[in-house]
Amino acid sequence: MVTNVTNFSRSGLYDWMAQRVSAVVLAAYFIFLLGFVLLNPGLTYADWHGLFSHNAMRIFSLLALLATVVHAWVGMWTISTDYLTPMAFGRWATVLRFFFQAACGVLQFVLFVWGVQILWGI
Amino acid sequence: MILFLGLVVLLYGLDMSLASEESFEELKACLASPLAKLVIWGLLSALLYHLVAGIRHLFMDAGVGETLEGGKLGSKIVIAVAVVLIVLAGVWVW
Repeated sequence: MVTNVTNFSRSGLYDWMAQRVSAVVLAAYFIFLLGFVLLNPGLTYADWHGLFSHNAMRIFSLLALLATVVHAWVGMWTISTDYLTPMAFGRWATVLRFFFQAACGVLQFVLFVWGVQILWGI
Repeated sequence: MILFLGLVVLLYGLDMSLASEESFEELKACLASPLAKLVIWGLLSALLYHLVAGIRHLFMDAGVGETLEGGKLGSKIVIAVAVVLIVLAGVWVW
C-alpha cells in the first residue's frame, strides 16, 4: 500500500474534490483565454496589456494559478504513486517519491510566486 | 509531465508578453519560428486532450459511461474529439 502521508490533504476524497474543482476553474480560464485570443486576431500589446490590467482578470488569473498548483500537486502525486512504487524501486520507493514530490512542490511554489509577480508587476 | 513542464514555458511567454511593447514584439517574432510553433502546438495538443479526457472523467463521476461498454465508447469519443481539436489547433498555429 502506498503511504498516503505525501498527498495533498488528509483524505483521498478531499484530493478527489480539490482536483475536480480546480479542473473546472482551469477549464473555464483556458476557454476564456482561448476565446479572447480567437476573437481578437492581430492582438496588439495594448489589448493584451489592457486585459491583464483589469483587476477582475488579475483575480481570475490568480485563482487559475492557485487551481494550477492544487491540480498539479494532486496530478503529480497520482503520477508518482503510480510509477514510483515499491514494485519498481523496492524499499527506496518512498524516499524517491518524497524527493520527487518535494521537487514538484518547490517548482510549483516558484511558478506561483513568478505568476503573481507577473500579474502584479505590470 | 509535458503539461507540468509546459507551465514554465507558458509563464515565460506571459512574462515576456506583458513586460513591454518590445518584449511583446520579440515574443511574436519568436513564435513565428517553426520550432516555437511546434512547441506551442504540442502543448496545446496535450492540454486539449487532457481537457477532453478530464471532461469525460467528470461525466463518469456523474455516473455516465461507467459500464464496460460505456467506458469503451467514452474512450473512443475522447480520442475522436481530441484529434479534431488538435488538428484545428494545428491549423490555427501553422
